[in-house]
Amino acid sequence: MSEKQGKHIAIYGKGGIGKSTTTSNISAALAEAGYRVIQVGCDPKSDSTTILRGGNDLPTVLDTLREQSKVRLEDISAVGFGGVLCIEAGGPVPGVGCAGRGINAAVELLQDLKVFEEYKPDFVLYDVLGDVVCGGFAVPIRDGIADRAFVVTSSDFMAVFAANNLFKAINKYAPSGGARLGGVIANSIQASYSKALIHDFAEESGVPVIGYVPRSITVAQSELYGKTVIEALPESEQAEVYRKLARYIDENNDSVIPKPLNGPELKKWARKWGDRIFEVETGVVQKMEAI
Amino acid sequence: MSYHIDGSRNSCALHGALQLIEAIEGAVPVIHSNAGCGLQHYLGVNRLGPGTDPYGGPPVSSSNITEKHVVFGGSSRLREQLKNTVKVVEGELYFIVSGCSTEMVGDDIPAMTKEGLDQSFPVVYANTPGFRGAVHQGYELAAKALIEQLPSLSKDKPEQAENLVNIWGIIPHQDPFWAGNLEELGRLLEGIGLRPNLLVGYGHGPEDWRCVPDAVLNIVVSVWGEAPARLLEERYGTPFLVVEGLPVGPAAGRLLRAVTDLLGLDASRTERFVEAEEKRLDRQLSGLADTFYRAGFQREFALVGESSQVVGLGEFLTRSLGLLPRTLIVTDNPTDEARSVIKERLAALVEDWDAEVFFSEDHAEISDLVVSGGATLVLGSALEGKAAETLGVPFLPVSFPLADRVVIDRGYAGYRGVAALLEDLGSAILARPHQ
Repeated sequence: MSEKQGKHIAIYGKGGIGKSTTTSNISAALAEAGYRVIQVGCDPKSDSTTILRGGNDLPTVLDTLREQSKVRLEDISAVGFGGVLCIEAGGPVPGVGCAGRGINAAVELLQDLKVFEEYKPDFVLYDVLGDVVCGGFAVPIRDGIADRAFVVTSSDFMAVFAANNLFKAINKYAPSGGARLGGVIANSIQASYSKALIHDFAEESGVPVIGYVPRSITVAQSELYGKTVIEALPESEQAEVYRKLARYIDENNDSVIPKPLNGPELKKWARKWGDRIFEVETGVVQKMEAI
Repeated sequence: MSYHIDGSRNSCALHGALQLIEAIEGAVPVIHSNAGCGLQHYLGVNRLGPGTDPYGGPPVSSSNITEKHVVFGGSSRLREQLKNTVKVVEGELYFIVSGCSTEMVGDDIPAMTKEGLDQSFPVVYANTPGFRGAVHQGYELAAKALIEQLPSLSKDKPEQAENLVNIWGIIPHQDPFWAGNLEELGRLLEGIGLRPNLLVGYGHGPEDWRCVPDAVLNIVVSVWGEAPARLLEERYGTPFLVVEGLPVGPAAGRLLRAVTDLLGLDASRTERFVEAEEKRLDRQLSGLADTFYRAGFQREFALVGESSQVVGLGEFLTRSLGLLPRTLIVTDNPTDEARSVIKERLAALVEDWDAEVFFSEDHAEISDLVVSGGATLVLGSALEGKAAETLGVPFLPVSFPLADRVVIDRGYAGYRGVAALLEDLGSAILARPHQ
């Protein structure tokens, strides 16, 4: 691969946690600040960039690759809000083929097409499907692709579990030149204990939380309009939350190698929080930091 | 600790399956894998063996999948390949075997097989990715697939043969003398009134495989024949007899007597037959006696090969011919359980004489063991030629791969095999008479 253009950031997280919404809003905020941004959706669902481009159709890289032997950048990309170049890797029909290999093939194609050299982005954001389900989905964090990874999580245990798995993958690849972890983005913060729970998990894993995104009706509303919050409700508080995240990613280059919890540690940690939440909900009064 | 294997003689499961299928007359293999799997088999096995079977070699039918099929699934490519194969090659049976990539992706091969069957093509399949094991596991997988799938393929059952006996465990080409060995075992079983079902080789096709459930006994002559024999016992209650080693010389007589006992055959007929064979063998051996002593046949030997060969040939060379085992190397990676049985058999070859038994498939390690063992005669594959050269001793290539001898129907099994073995061994010793 020739000299890398711009900062390459991979954003991971459990399916349905709000990864694509968060990523798209960060892309929009970066674009709004005047940066050239590419967002690559690495998910067979291929809906990562929908709210950046008003819900219009965009042929995926893999679908195009299947139909035609020669693929041009204009066949597989669309320009969305603020000039963000939107690309969807796509994948096979559920139940057949290998989506992991698909991600691999799509990323390789983008490199072959010299997308980054030609478009000269300041930022490339890879929005990657949930868990690191196999080697293919770890491609963006391997040597030479993304510099930093961020993980989006809510306070649901399964989201934390997926985040912990991602930490394991980073822990494996980072020493040999793969991406390091930029931090955790806490999403859908609503319950009283959410912030403290994610904060505690991040501290246990030795990683920073770079922002807390509250659950907000503005997000749902904007999505229904097929837009990011930045575009639909630029004056809202929520838009400012995303701008703050974007500024962090822009201005801060810190990264760490996380210390994932092993099976028994994670189980113990979860039990501890199970007890605390029960006590909060049932009104047991005792000293509890951060809650 | 991990280590690398230098020059393994054990190819992958897909190749083991192909070796079995190609040796079934009228069976057409259809490989569902990326390009190169079939060719690798040709380069590694067919070209080193006696030649190419009718539907093997470079023109073998293969779906040759590419990245597109890995990402989106390759089942439709297989469907197309099967359709084309049926048009181009007239076979009695089409056998789909899969490689690593298509198995990783999870292509639905049973569904494609069913589609073929729905169109009245005789199709079976086996999942044989290389990562499932070596050539031996491939043989087991393909044999089990045939046992499981053939009965439902056709409603017209072939006429039931009486006293049918199947022979398992001889893997075509992995035993370079497979055809000759099977023919001889068949001749011996016929001699005691049985109908042998050799399953592979000239004149043996899918019809013979359809008769497999009718057999009264399954004879297993290597550890690799146990899996199909056990399956048949489970399905049809057919008993099986395991002999672990290739029966050479008197071991063949013991096998015939054991079969006679087990099936309650006419014992006097068996005795008459075995005696006649033994008499012939004695005559051959006594005719060789003079040369045996003059040329110094009685040597300490190194023997490298598959477990059935090491046990079978080893027993004959020591017990019947009076040679002494120096280094015995088993190359086919038998299970731990089988290893202890094999070790026991080999340790008891000569009383008060400890033969060193090793299990290895590493060319460098095997060569070192042969050289450091200091044998005065080496029997092994072509890969051991150099070690024999280093030792400056006679060398007879007997196991896979053979590089410089052609084998068509020569075999070392049974009584007739003894003559062939003595001819080859004697010639090798006479060609290098002085140590």
